[in-house]
Amino acid sequence: MAVNPLVGSVQTVPLLPGSGQAAKPTSAGFGESLARLIQSVDDTNGQANQAVSSMLSGQGDVHDAMIALQRADLTLQLTVQVRNKLVQAYQEIMRMPV
Amino acid sequence: MATLDSAISAAASALSAERLRVEVAVSNLANAESTRGPDGKAYRRRDVVLAAEPVDSFNDVLGRATATGVRVADVIEDPTPGRQRYEPSHPDADKNGFVALPNVDPSEEMVDMLSAARAYQANLTAISLIRDLVQRALEIGRG
Amino acid sequence: MSEISDAALVAALRHQMTVAAARQVVSASNLANASTPGFKAREVDFARTLEAQLASGLRTTDPRHQSAQGAAGPATKETEGLQARRDGNTVQVDRELLEMTRAGGDFARAQTALAAKFRLIRYAINDGK
Repeated sequence: MAVNPLVGSVQTVPLLPGSGQAAKPTSAGFGESLARLIQSVDDTNGQANQAVSSMLSGQGDVHDAMIALQRADLTLQLTVQVRNKLVQAYQEIMRMPV
Repeated sequence: MATLDSAISAAASALSAERLRVEVAVSNLANAESTRGPDGKAYRRRDVVLAAEPVDSFNDVLGRATATGVRVADVIEDPTPGRQRYEPSHPDADKNGFVALPNVDPSEEMVDMLSAARAYQANLTAISLIRDLVQRALEIGRG
Repeated sequence: MSEISDAALVAALRHQMTVAAARQVVSASNLANASTPGFKAREVDFARTLEAQLASGLRTTDPRHQSAQGAAGPATKETEGLQARRDGNTVQVDRELLEMTRAGGDFARAQTALAAKFRLIRYAINDGK
């Protein structure tokens, strides 16, 4: 399932609405997915900046700028959520008696 | 595509132009019977010459689409001669008893005036419609 | 599993809004020149816009290729079948106002759908909070 539809690529961290946690992906593809997610925050941010300045200079449309802002915002939120889930999972593991 | 802002500029340019057209038509009508102006001759009707003009010439040169507005290129005197009326008793009658009348056709001026007023109104509506659109665009992230 | 990916939906709605905005701009330009001698009313060229959209095909989900129509926006052409007045002008005020109203409605509909979509995505990301 494409969980980060905003950059049009399929991530391996599915998030279901209403569920409390992310399914744990295989460690093989995990680092790559995370790196891609962080990269997408950079990308969407850059696109948003570009779209907004384009709009302000009178070349771009307002709705394009608004959409770019939304995508940047949602991508960031997604990344933060994934990070939170990771931290949670890590803490759970650390709490397990050896 | 040209932003909605440039469309508002285009409509605004039309507001000035159409208003001038109304004013000129009104002036023509008011002087429809002025057989002796300041230069001693009959009033000559005036015409507003309009020309299309891209709102943003900078982007236009770059080949990017921009809205097209309008500008008043000139306000000219209509050289068409007016009618002559046989009225020997008129103070401005010539030696043959004819009075040179202004080249104003009141019904044509009325038509021009009404069409200009209508265009003015339409451009006003256009501005508010575009503003609504921009407003909706800003609400994309709402909620 | 949905048939249309979220990215494609966002791209499609965005395209609808771009076209609707372009229709408004073109009609506004026509109205501004309702009295300009020789001015020919223009309209968005849907055939060419669609062609450009299809040509960019699979790339519409990639944000870098969003401007399927190029920097200039959707293509325009002279409106056919309009009666020219004596000065050559073909702009009909009522027609343009109607087109602007329709385009405004299309834009509003796409915006409503898009805003709802973003809300859903945000909801999903935040685990329903």
